Amino acid sequence: MKRRDPWRIGGAVFLAGLTIFALLPMAWMLITSLKTQFAALQYPPQWLPKNPTLEQYSLLLSPGNPVGQEFLRYLFNSLWVSFASTVLGVVVAVPAAYAFSRFRFPGRNLLFYSVLLRNMFPAVVFLMPLFIMMRWLGLVNTQASLILTYLTFGLPLSIWLLKGFYDNIPVQLEQAARIDGASRFQAFILIVMPLSSPGIIATAIYSFIMAWNEYVYALTFINNAERLTLPVGLQRFFTEYATNWPGLMAASFIMSVPVVALFLVLQKYFVRALTEGAVKS
Amino acid sequence: MANARPGLLRRIVRHRADYLYVAPALLVMLLVIAYPIYDTIYLSFFNTPPNLALEDKIFIGLGNYQRILGMDSFHEATWNTFVWTVFSTLFAFVLGFGAALALNREFVGRGLMRGILLIPYVISAVAASYIWRWLYHSDFGVIGAISVAIGLTENPINFLDSTDFVMASLIVVNVWKEFPFAMIMMLAGLQTVPDQLLRAAQVDGAGPWHRFWHITVPHLKGVTLVTVLLLLVANLNSFTIPWIMTGGGPAGASEIWITHIYQLAFGRIRFGLASAYSVILFIVMMGMGYFYVRALTKGDAK
Repeated sequence: MKRRDPWRIGGAVFLAGLTIFALLPMAWMLITSLKTQFAALQYPPQWLPKNPTLEQYSLLLSPGNPVGQEFLRYLFNSLWVSFASTVLGVVVAVPAAYAFSRFRFPGRNLLFYSVLLRNMFPAVVFLMPLFIMMRWLGLVNTQASLILTYLTFGLPLSIWLLKGFYDNIPVQLEQAARIDGASRFQAFILIVMPLSSPGIIATAIYSFIMAWNEYVYALTFINNAERLTLPVGLQRFFTEYATNWPGLMAASFIMSVPVVALFLVLQKYFVRALTEGAVKS
Repeated sequence: MANARPGLLRRIVRHRADYLYVAPALLVMLLVIAYPIYDTIYLSFFNTPPNLALEDKIFIGLGNYQRILGMDSFHEATWNTFVWTVFSTLFAFVLGFGAALALNREFVGRGLMRGILLIPYVISAVAASYIWRWLYHSDFGVIGAISVAIGLTENPINFLDSTDFVMASLIVVNVWKEFPFAMIMMLAGLQTVPDQLLRAAQVDGAGPWHRFWHITVPHLKGVTLVTVLLLLVANLNSFTIPWIMTGGGPAGASEIWITHIYQLAFGRIRFGLASAYSVILFIVMMGMGYFYVRALTKGDAK
């Protein structure tokens, strides 16, 4: 099997090219973020910063100056909104996914496919009526509006992913517990929940990343600078300091760190979450 | 499920405890999904005043639909949407599938490689859009500078302000962002191809191309269908990249349905018109949704 066949060499070359394509933009983000504003606006560009500086990062991350205050507030808002909507979504999704996986109640298929179909609808279809609803509820410009609307994508996704995990837990384990005298609810809490914790972790991370990266609802529902989340806050930062490309790149880098870190640590679960359901072995 | 069978009511009563598990989810979904869909369809039949109170709306039947289908900007956006969706999907799938094939063998650093290639998919579309705006910058962009440095062009290309290049430039960004998704899906699909079958074919003297075409490809039909459908849907729905990078410009050259709807709804506050536009998009989506559910449930005959 160690023969050097042309397929293998071709594959390696292709993979190398693709890696360069994937990495170069991020490398350039990092390089730019280490430049001064003056150094960034050079033509031809400095391929590597001549005087690398962490000035932009210290500006963004120190609460002592207005830029840093603003940026840290956005960061905190993003964390809070993503965390709250993830927890809410998973808590509601767990029993529903379990029921879809285990029980055969009338209307189950119909309900489940309508959950699935939600993945087809563009956010924009929901945007106008949800905006009207949020105005009516007096929630425009509050983070509650985001936490609630993020369920439009978080909840169906969580139900779908979790059902896949429950399908893979042998039903015999619960049956054994039932024979030993546990109620159906007890069997669910004591047997199924611990076994499905990897699934819940994967689902929660997926849902957190989706919420962390969400842009269009945040753009539409929030225009109070105090309450913006990072993706929209970045835009304000960009328009207000239009020429500060190193600052914008540093901000983009900081914003990407949590999701990339989460993902790299839990890559296995993440990949499983992505492909669950689409691939049947 | 034969719902019309007599005793449906009795079955519902017998299963009443089951509904407690799904009730919270259903309640939330009714509030944030079913009601908005109803409201969008409802609003699409009204001429709404350009303010947010929506009090003096006038019922005009299919008037909004007629207006949209007659707008030149709609036809232009439709063509752009088609180009955007088809080419993004095609290139993302080809690159992703290629990467999956190359990664589907044991070698040192394979896990690391897969991780690196997935990063564009994980980072936020907003950050990606700004990074690429900077790469494309008309004066200080690194891509323009490289193409001059290696003698490809005499002057830096104006990627985003030119009606000729803007669509292709945006598609590159989109492909960069989503090829990893196709890669992961196809890699998972490739891992279900039975090894014994491939080895048996090799023993029988089948070459690599033959094995690929007659064993691997037929096994991947299902996952390919799901992946392509999900890419099509994602591309038809994508908003962030075109909105941040160009906002549909220059001169509408990168306007796609979603950005156009957003512009009508929240730029010009024409909720009725934008709702009708959404319903048109919605109908196209339902067509795809039908195939998606069918692809997912095939072989799930329990």
